[in-house]
Amino acid sequence: MPGAMSWGIILILVILAALRPVFCAALVITFDFYWIVRTLYLTTLLVLAHQKLRCQKNRNWLADCQALKAGKSWQVLYHLVIFPVYKEGLDILRPSLAAIRDTNYPKDKIIVVMAFEERHQPSRQASEALEKEFKGCFFGYLTSMHPDGLPGEARTKGANATWAAKKAKDFLDAKGITYERVVLSCFDADTCVEKEYFGCLSYHFLTTPDPHQASYQPIPVYNNNIWNAPSLARLVEISSSYCQMIESMRLEKFVTFSSHSMSFKTIVDIDYWPVNMISDDSVVYWKAFIFYNGKYRVVPLYITVSMDVAYSSNLFRTIAVQYKQKRRWAWGVENFPFVLSRFLDNNNIPFLLKVRRAFHLLESHVTWAIWAVIITLLAPLPVLLGGALFHQMPIGYNLPLITGLLLRFTLGTSLVWILLSRTMLPPRPRDVPWFKNIVMVLEWVIVPLVILILGSTPALDAQTRLALAKYMEFYPTEKKRKVV
Amino acid sequence: MLSEQRIRGILFYASVAVFFVFLPFVLSSALGYRFDRRNLKFTRSGLIFIKTQPSGANVYLNGKLLNDKTPVTINELLPGRYRIRLELERYYPWSDEVTVEAGKATPLDKIILFLLRPNVKQVNRDRFHSFWIDEERQLVYYINSEENALYKSDLAGERYQKLANLIVFSTSPLKYKVSLERGRILYCNNNQLAVTDINPDDKFGGDSFFVINEPDSEDWVLDAFWHSDGYHIIVVRKGRIDVTEARPRAKAVLLTRLNNKNTTAFYDVRSDTLYFLDLEEAADGNTYDNLYKIELSPWSFPWQDLIKRRHNGTKP
Repeated sequence: MPGAMSWGIILILVILAALRPVFCAALVITFDFYWIVRTLYLTTLLVLAHQKLRCQKNRNWLADCQALKAGKSWQVLYHLVIFPVYKEGLDILRPSLAAIRDTNYPKDKIIVVMAFEERHQPSRQASEALEKEFKGCFFGYLTSMHPDGLPGEARTKGANATWAAKKAKDFLDAKGITYERVVLSCFDADTCVEKEYFGCLSYHFLTTPDPHQASYQPIPVYNNNIWNAPSLARLVEISSSYCQMIESMRLEKFVTFSSHSMSFKTIVDIDYWPVNMISDDSVVYWKAFIFYNGKYRVVPLYITVSMDVAYSSNLFRTIAVQYKQKRRWAWGVENFPFVLSRFLDNNNIPFLLKVRRAFHLLESHVTWAIWAVIITLLAPLPVLLGGALFHQMPIGYNLPLITGLLLRFTLGTSLVWILLSRTMLPPRPRDVPWFKNIVMVLEWVIVPLVILILGSTPALDAQTRLALAKYMEFYPTEKKRKVV
Repeated sequence: MLSEQRIRGILFYASVAVFFVFLPFVLSSALGYRFDRRNLKFTRSGLIFIKTQPSGANVYLNGKLLNDKTPVTINELLPGRYRIRLELERYYPWSDEVTVEAGKATPLDKIILFLLRPNVKQVNRDRFHSFWIDEERQLVYYINSEENALYKSDLAGERYQKLANLIVFSTSPLKYKVSLERGRILYCNNNQLAVTDINPDDKFGGDSFFVINEPDSEDWVLDAFWHSDGYHIIVVRKGRIDVTEARPRAKAVLLTRLNNKNTTAFYDVRSDTLYFLDLEEAADGNTYDNLYKIELSPWSFPWQDLIKRRHNGTKP
């Protein structure tokens, strides 16, 4: 349905551009104006989210936990961290574990599970090396090897994480730790947490009403290798961070993404992650939402977790890597049929809530697939196909003017984005020259090009594949700390 | 958190309100409607689009200076006549009165503003009495009147080069034509036609000679053209068209006789086709001008065809 809608809108606009150029131009102008208002609104939310992130930076969350009144003891909590790993090497994994080791939180309250895929042979050496280095650092350190080809499973991250969570469950049972006391964090292999992450998570877990009916979403930033990444990849990932910051302000639409945390009790109750779907990070939210009859939410954590910018050795390969990553994210559109079918089976969720959430899901994916196409490719069509009569009408002259205004407005808001991005950068590594600072400002001029290449096409691709039942396999994103 | 969500809610509804309140104005303006504040209704308007070469001219609409410079779209104009004046420093101003119609755009997009003092630059170095431009090769050819020699340079007047001395005619040549491969030049007056090699390296070997030298003839040479091979010349004369080889003492071949003693002709060297006018008596007894063509390419010769037959007139 999302694919049909997206293609339908695009095709209708193309046909209208040829047959009814004035009507098409009016629609494009309406969309342009909508996009200007929307950009203004979302940029304001971004500024608010950034302000909140800035205010809570360097806050000693553990001290805040300690200050909580009796009955909300952080000491009873355990943090279970699962790292589903596929081909990531020690250069990626070691800093992720070191970041947890270096957190301002008692390590005897942390259990780490390194979840490897058995089918990837080099994993064994990596697991042994990490075990040797980190086993004694935490209350528990487990290594799981997810077997390949289990019945009902696809080669997805969710299947690996589920296998690891079941291993962790055995460990908790053996230690006599109840699931209610365990907060689970499922992190991408390259996730490096901030020092205060577990304190922040504990605080929110303890202070949120019905804490088991919530996921806890930190702000993902891509700072691990941001200074070394090429401009295009950097811009795309900064945009992704901004999207998450904006989403964190829209709680009624907020869905888990990438690295996030939740109650271990909940993950057991909902029977873990889906083992045959790619978008495990968002589906797990919907499973919980349906399990709790709509009384489930995502609590934003205004603390960052840092990941890698996905890039490769040259521009074209970087575009390919970014394209595949975005297409995998856009494959989240598979949530729509999943959610719709579960909504039909569940009579305990209020009807209006079902309609609103389904609409949000559909609207977000359709908008993702068409916005860049409309702004960059369809907007000039009425002028090109409109014929002589169109060029004699005022709208024939006003359409390019308004489209140009939209572009200028986007560039104007880019100034805000540039300023915000500067405040979120990690310190410049010594081996990176100073003028990279200038490059990182000037590179924003290629935003229209990025929009054209990676704006809508990955989403349109994913939706078309879903509509044609050409299902995707999980494609692990290529990660590089530095191109050699 | 509640207060943030409240702020967000306010922002959201404010954005929705802005969208729905202003969209009718944006759309109506784009479609050429103007909101009449007095009567609170939309009136159909028109626009003027002005584009100048060069851009950046000040625009005066009915004597009032607008904020924007060209290219500019002046929107929401009520139907009627408007005085437009364009001013750009160092350029002649442009002005006109244009009519704006409801729901229509009036494009003024072919305006060139000319310099008050054009940059006049002398291109030649010596005295000359004739020149022509080779657009394809971006060259200018000169006849130096003192030396009676042919020179060439690039269009900027640089890379000045003498090509050849020309034969002295009894009266000055009227026409000069360089062959397609730029190896030879023919020049003629009414009684004389000479050829000079201007590329010493070519197969003809750097020479000057008369092809026609008939001081007393009344069969005047009206025009002459190079064939694409650079060796044959099509000579339009009073009462006939000949073709001749460009060599001394060459014998001309008659292509056609002409009723019109002062015909005009055009030669398309790309297709080796000669177009010419001639008078022909039609079946109704009247004489009409007809346009004829003769194809002289090696593949079509001697096919002759009439591209436009009037009153079934044919040319023998």
